Amino acid sequence: MSFLEVFQYTRQDSPIHNIDPRAKLVMSIAFAIISLTFINIVPLLIFFLFLVPLIIAARSLRRWSRSMKGLSFLLLFIMVFNTLFSTVPNPFSHSIALTLRLICLMTSFSLFFLTVHPDELSQALIQMRVKFEFAFAMSMAMRYVPTLGQEAYAIMDAQRARGVELDKGSLLSRIRGIIPIIVPLIIVSIRRALSIAESMESRGFGGSENRTYMEQLRFRCRDWGVLAASVLLLLLILYLRFFVPLPDWVLWELPY
Amino acid sequence: MIIMEDVHFSYEGLYTALRGVSFQINQGDRLAIMGANGAGKTTLIKHMNGLLRPMRGRVFVDGGNASSKSVAELSRIVGLVWQNPDHQLFLDTVEKEIIFGLRNLGFSQEDAQQRCDRTLSKLSLEGFGERSPFSLSGGERKRVALASVLAIEPLVLALDEPTIGQDARQKELLADLLKELNEKGCTVIVVTHDIEFVVEHFPRTIAMADGKIVADGPTRSVLSNQQVLDLCSLTIPQLTQTARALHRTFPTASERCFLLSEVEDAIVEILEGQ
Repeated sequence: MSFLEVFQYTRQDSPIHNIDPRAKLVMSIAFAIISLTFINIVPLLIFFLFLVPLIIAARSLRRWSRSMKGLSFLLLFIMVFNTLFSTVPNPFSHSIALTLRLICLMTSFSLFFLTVHPDELSQALIQMRVKFEFAFAMSMAMRYVPTLGQEAYAIMDAQRARGVELDKGSLLSRIRGIIPIIVPLIIVSIRRALSIAESMESRGFGGSENRTYMEQLRFRCRDWGVLAASVLLLLLILYLRFFVPLPDWVLWELPY
Repeated sequence: MIIMEDVHFSYEGLYTALRGVSFQINQGDRLAIMGANGAGKTTLIKHMNGLLRPMRGRVFVDGGNASSKSVAELSRIVGLVWQNPDHQLFLDTVEKEIIFGLRNLGFSQEDAQQRCDRTLSKLSLEGFGERSPFSLSGGERKRVALASVLAIEPLVLALDEPTIGQDARQKELLADLLKELNEKGCTVIVVTHDIEFVVEHFPRTIAMADGKIVADGPTRSVLSNQQVLDLCSLTIPQLTQTARALHRTFPTASERCFLLSEVEDAIVEILEGQ
């Protein structure tokens, strides 16, 4: 589960943390689209090298690299699976590009989730005219990701003590081994959801129609700058990708 | 039975939960592990069946080094009963739930069935066999979780907070059951904050604070040490408080009483003396 860390907010004081969440949302989406625009090693690598300094600026390099380590199994799996079963001419090269693309995508979104507090997110959504209930549900969901992770660990421990082998045996028996983890996890979550709902109601959730907020988000020059820069970058990349013939070095592939 | 030598453990290198824990638990011991929240109690018992492996130091279970055995192998020797039963229940009947663990650990179907029936009657859960665990109350689910471990008939039984959510009667029954198992040779370990439960039923106590053992010995002497009580965020049982109050007025009365009968005796002595 450690790869989920990269989507978990950490309280820190960094230039990236201080950007308005709405600007950051646009930035992350722009970055994600850019990651999806290419399927070649060179441009994705360049983009990756562009993202890493941003992670460093957000003072989250260690957390990010830990997550990537946690993800390495999946990445390896994607690489092997695609190499073996892909029908493109250079399967190995293609699968490396795919893996890079996933890393870029995750990094783009992690820039948002690592640096936006759930409360900030819901405030941003509300100021984007999303209904309070939905915004609240969204920030609650984010808030409970790590809790769910901890719960999953506790359940795994409990089941391993009853002889469930989670990392041994054939693929089929491993899939079967998931059931004793998933069922309690769902039930525990439902139980908790019910009790949270009760405790929220008993504290008057939804009691008044028009909520007011102590802190309002304000767009500053810097945020406009980030917004404009991300949109411009996105447009530039899209233009280059679709209206300019790409030079050979960009399309370079491994020979197999 | 279980020996730990200078065991250290930290979670992902971030949070140090155990800093050099050493002790020996003998076959047939009945002991409590007490300590404040976050003292490392649960981490400690997870080392007993290999769910966690020490980062430094060694753990021996039943004469062998635990590091050479899998969790499944160790679980046949050391049964852990968890704080939250909902973390393990997932099948649609209580019976299947109990048999599931047994079958995983290599018992035959008939053997598992017999053990299941025996355990259900031992825990006064007869008639629950066909019920769904999810339709049961919290206390009942807790007993089903206990049953699923008891059915394995492990040499060591370790329970994490077994008294939470149990009414006074169930607590008594649990204590009786644990004593009975203990008399048959099973080593019983409980992790708990329930000082009355410990004083009444457990002869030995290990007190932990901040990842270390601060006291290990007979329950009475461990729990009459004010320093230990402070370190473990425990308050003394009401009976002991009563005894201390008596002692303040009548210095002849002993201040180290833990059981109702002892306080009674003290009062009778005072009355007779006057």
